[in-house]
Amino acid sequence: MTPMGWLDAVYVMAYRQLKHFVRSPSRIIASIVNPLIWILFFGMGWASTFRFPGAKALFGGVDYLSFLIPGIIAMSVFTGSFLSGISILFDKQFGFLKEILVAPVPRVAAMTGRILGDSLTATIEAGIIAVIGLPLITRVSFLGILYALLYSYLAAIGFSALGIAIASRMRSYEGFQLIMSFLIMPLIFLSGAFYPIRYMPWWLKLLAYMDPLTYSVDATRYWLVGVAQINPWIDLGALLLLDAGLVIVAGYLFGKMSLE
Amino acid sequence: MKRYGDIVAVNGVSFRVKYGEIFGFLGPNGAGKTTTIHILSTLLKPTAGRALVAGYDVVREAASVRRSIGIVFQDPSLDEGLTAYENLYIHGRVYGLRGSALRERIEEMLGFVELEEYRDRLVRTFSGGMRRRLELARALLHEPRVLFLDEPTLGLDPHARTRLWEYITRLRAEKGVTIFLTTHYMEEAEQLCDRIAIIDKGRIVATGSPDELKSMLGDEVVYMRVSDPGKACKALERLESVKECKVLQGGRVSIHVPSAAQTIPELLEAAKNSGVRVVEVSYRRPTLNDVFIHLTGRGIEEESVDETERIRIYARSYFRRKG
Ligand SMILES: Nc1ncnc2c1ncn2[C@@H]1O[C@H](COP(=O)(O)OP(=O)(O)OP(=O)(O)O)[C@@H](O)[C@H]1O
Ligand SMILES: [Mg+2]
Repeated sequence: MTPMGWLDAVYVMAYRQLKHFVRSPSRIIASIVNPLIWILFFGMGWASTFRFPGAKALFGGVDYLSFLIPGIIAMSVFTGSFLSGISILFDKQFGFLKEILVAPVPRVAAMTGRILGDSLTATIEAGIIAVIGLPLITRVSFLGILYALLYSYLAAIGFSALGIAIASRMRSYEGFQLIMSFLIMPLIFLSGAFYPIRYMPWWLKLLAYMDPLTYSVDATRYWLVGVAQINPWIDLGALLLLDAGLVIVAGYLFGKMSLE
Repeated sequence: MKRYGDIVAVNGVSFRVKYGEIFGFLGPNGAGKTTTIHILSTLLKPTAGRALVAGYDVVREAASVRRSIGIVFQDPSLDEGLTAYENLYIHGRVYGLRGSALRERIEEMLGFVELEEYRDRLVRTFSGGMRRRLELARALLHEPRVLFLDEPTLGLDPHARTRLWEYITRLRAEKGVTIFLTTHYMEEAEQLCDRIAIIDKGRIVATGSPDELKSMLGDEVVYMRVSDPGKACKALERLESVKECKVLQGGRVSIHVPSAAQTIPELLEAAKNSGVRVVEVSYRRPTLNDVFIHLTGRGIEEESVDETERIRIYARSYFRRKG
């Protein structure tokens, strides 16, 4: 296979994911409404609680909504990209996967295209939420949004690779509920999206630093409102490491996938 | 040979398909047809044994095999959320086609299966027959040398079935593609295939052209209504190609011959010479079903076939609704 053929496969699989994205407005709406509900009800609720003098100091010097919204954006990137990775199970069920498995392109190429496409749609959704949440955030720069979305894209690559890796090992949706409760929820709660990591007990803090989502939340918060617990360069390093590791694992598992 | 755990799906399956030929695998449900196709198309690794497709080994040269083949799977494999055109476009790009060459090729294939008008409709809205045709178009898009069709007409109505048969025969005539197809319809195997392998419980029990297979059973029987049955039989039995002649009721005789098609002119000639007037001629050839019964002691039971087929069709429409 020529390098050109590789690129073609990557391109066309990304194209496919984007086509699916624009064809399902209900999915787009759901992926935007859900974070908005968090911001509106959860966020507004706590924001009015944290209005006492000195409350801002708890959140690194910003009000609670400014603290929360970047976290919600990172959370939506995470769930969006992770679930679209898992959705490869649909392809298995509806049979399209066979078309890919029998194609003369390396599976990794097809998978990479899929990941890049899914990450782009997750980032677009994040961008929409950012724009809607903008009026509620203090201090934000245009460049900051761009950087935040760039970091979001990097995070999405790792998370959709994680989804694909898990889906490659699953036969059906049976294990899905399990993954929801043992993976998605803990990763979100540990990430510092809702509350600062700084005040967690040491063991929780330890887990939080092992949670890749933590670095994505931290970076998004840094670029949107200028508050960070971790150096953004470290965030970048962690996300790149996550991407490399998970893409390799996903490539390996997806490559081994067969019809049996 | 292919084993799933303890289940031996196919074993002792050995055959050659000639270039440009339509070769059929005929067998009942669970015979191992799909397993064989999946091994030949590199989707499954054989537990033991060796297979070459288009000159390449399916295990060691899987990439070359994949480039040389096109396949229509037994179960649906289209992307239902995309249009017909997009399905073909994605396939083309994955197989290295691009630009105007790809566009022209897509148009040509849409034309071939007569789906031009539906090019921009979502596959989700397609009927079973339309989907099948689109799958055929997709399998042919990159001009494969070998085409695999796994029960291409399963679940289609007679009209759609004949239409698909037409495409397949035209393909062979116009493009010289080598076609390997599986079916459990006798009629389909007989209509389409140059040669057939009958497969049962993972084994090939016989291989040959439909006529060869049927002549395994020996006689064909010619029935004639004549003016004088007794006299006719006496005259006909003197012919070398006639094994037996029996007088039946109603002025009819039955004549056992090795090949009715070849012997009938001779029979008519002999009858005429002996002054017997022939009113009516008919003959019954043994069907492939007779051959199957002869080889395995069972028929390809149509009833059980219909049952699984119904379930399958149901499963398809179920997934379609969910999708
Ligand atoms: N994934 C699998 N795991 C275990 N056994 C399997 C698997 N796939 C097929 N088999 C078994 O292998 C045998 C051959 O199956 P195969 O699908 O090749 O039959 P087939 O001739 O295509 O039948 P059909 O007409 O129903 O499509 C059957 O006994 C089937 O139960
Ligand atoms: Mg089958």
